[in-house]
Amino acid sequence: MGSYIARRLLSGVITIWFIATATFFGMHAVPGDPLLNDKAVTPEIRANLERAYGLDKPVPQQYLIFLGNMLQGDFGISFTQQNRRVNDIIAEHFPVSATLGVLALLFAAGGGIVFGALTALFRGRLPDYLIMLLVIVAVSVPSFVFAGLGQLAILQLNRLVGFSLLPVAGWGSLSHMLVPSLVLGLGTMAYLTRLMRSSMLEVAETDYIRTARAKGLTPQRIFFRHQLRNAILPVVTVLGPAIAAITTGGFVVELVFAIPGLGRYFVQAVQQLDYTVIMGTTVFYGAFLVLMVIAVDIAYGFIDPRIQVNKSLS
Amino acid sequence: MSEPGVPVLSVKDLEVEFDTFGGVVRAVRGVSYDVHAGETLAVVGESGCGKSVTVQALMGLIPMPPGRVVGGSAKLLGQELIGLDQAQLNAVRGADMGMIFQDPMTSLNPTMRVGDQIAETLVVHRGITRDAALKEAVRLLERTRIPEAAQRAKQFPFEFSGGMLQRVMISMSLACTPKLLIADEPTTALDVTIQDQVLELMREIQREDHMAIVLITHDLGVVARMADRVAVMYAGEVVEYGSVDDIFYRAAHPYTQGLKQAMPDMHQHGKDRLEAIPGSPPDLFAPPPGCAYHPRCPHAMQICKHRDPGQYRVGDAHYASCWRLHEEAPAIAAEDSHAG
Repeated sequence: MGSYIARRLLSGVITIWFIATATFFGMHAVPGDPLLNDKAVTPEIRANLERAYGLDKPVPQQYLIFLGNMLQGDFGISFTQQNRRVNDIIAEHFPVSATLGVLALLFAAGGGIVFGALTALFRGRLPDYLIMLLVIVAVSVPSFVFAGLGQLAILQLNRLVGFSLLPVAGWGSLSHMLVPSLVLGLGTMAYLTRLMRSSMLEVAETDYIRTARAKGLTPQRIFFRHQLRNAILPVVTVLGPAIAAITTGGFVVELVFAIPGLGRYFVQAVQQLDYTVIMGTTVFYGAFLVLMVIAVDIAYGFIDPRIQVNKSLS
Repeated sequence: MSEPGVPVLSVKDLEVEFDTFGGVVRAVRGVSYDVHAGETLAVVGESGCGKSVTVQALMGLIPMPPGRVVGGSAKLLGQELIGLDQAQLNAVRGADMGMIFQDPMTSLNPTMRVGDQIAETLVVHRGITRDAALKEAVRLLERTRIPEAAQRAKQFPFEFSGGMLQRVMISMSLACTPKLLIADEPTTALDVTIQDQVLELMREIQREDHMAIVLITHDLGVVARMADRVAVMYAGEVVEYGSVDDIFYRAAHPYTQGLKQAMPDMHQHGKDRLEAIPGSPPDLFAPPPGCAYHPRCPHAMQICKHRDPGQYRVGDAHYASCWRLHEEAPAIAAEDSHAG
């Protein structure tokens, strides 16, 4: 097991190196540079700045410098925010994004499993149709619409109770997190609901469920002990990509709810061609996702006994 | 073979239908048979003849809807099963009747330890603790001759071979010492040597527990080995019913005779080709009028196309449904009925 994890981590490092390299050259292929903004800059100042940031060196050399710094865990200083180290930006804002993402994921996975199981249980009856209708809505409507609707709903709620029960925007307490994370997780929740539903129905048709019924088990016991666990497996499989969808989709929600998360810097940096921040956030997100996928794969082995690390491989 | 007294299982005129998009499928059309304690009844017939549906209906395992029991009865030790609700059936299933299925690889929960799967039956029906049930599960596994049963009980189904899994299935169905074991093609998915071991095991346990077995199969070799009595099914009906010798040596129905000709016989030289029954099984959306077998029957007469033959007594506890057994029927061309 230990060496399996080591191998997965090693391949993860290669993936991250690939992400870093592709981003680096892709970024430099974009016309313009971070020094090119509204303010007119004389050629002398520009040359000074380029020297200061190392932009006068050929791109391959810049790449090597970047790789060397990255290996030491240093992503440099932001081009647009004065004297702000990229590492500080990440350290300051990622915990906010992560908290939001984890909450959203909990909503998505919990809701997806519960609603999916419910629809399968009430197949062809009212709860099934109702939930599946909502699922189609949640899949089709983009998150910025839900974010706006969420704020409207908070406003109405506050007006109804007569005081500020939930804040409309901002960050700090759990009450700030509730609606944004719900909005962020909604699309994934809908997707997981559909997956869980089809998985539940598939499991219901299997021979081992028939065996369980032939043993005289109660429907409750069959549902919880035989059906649920087997039906959850495909849901766990897509949790890796779901984490990706939630973390990268977070910036819209962060923007609307004025949450000081990393997503905002991620987008801003691309608009301003802030090389170091782009590299820092991209590589960081990349590493985070690779880790999550590995974590999900390892968790899968605990849920499904058939998925075990092949000893000859490890 | 037949004993006096209440049969363990008595199926009478059972009829089962399924609603499908194509219309109503009459899968079981008046099936009757009895099984007594310590006796094995083999139910044979080709795919789709209703042999599995019959037992699944009486165990309450067919999904309703689209399935529906239209008529008839099935009594387990005198207790009517048809019409019981699921809760009432649950008191019987796994306790008084156990069932084993065709494919042991898919019939066990892949994410649950086999010991737990066996113990579960005991916990539910006997109300004993999980620990006690697990101990009993190990004993049951030992009884079905699974080596190192204590370790094996902690393993998952994917760690077993097919034959071993079928032993696990048997231990599971025997957990509460049922009076009746229904085995739906228990050896079809296994290779021949393993088949033999599993059948031998079933016979041994039957002798010890004196239980009744309904063995569903399409393998006449298995029938010859295991059965005391045989019910031959065709198109949702029992067309011939008798002792194993009646069926093998004194087959009265043309379908049974056809099945036997389709079976290889290593003693009969010069029989290079196996005689297949011409045609295909009838469409159960609209079973043929009269005798369902008449379109394929080499001896079909005019009356076979129009009227149901009814059942005729051929010998002691040997019945067949064929117009040629009617007293006014033309003399039957002699079948090679020499006892071999």
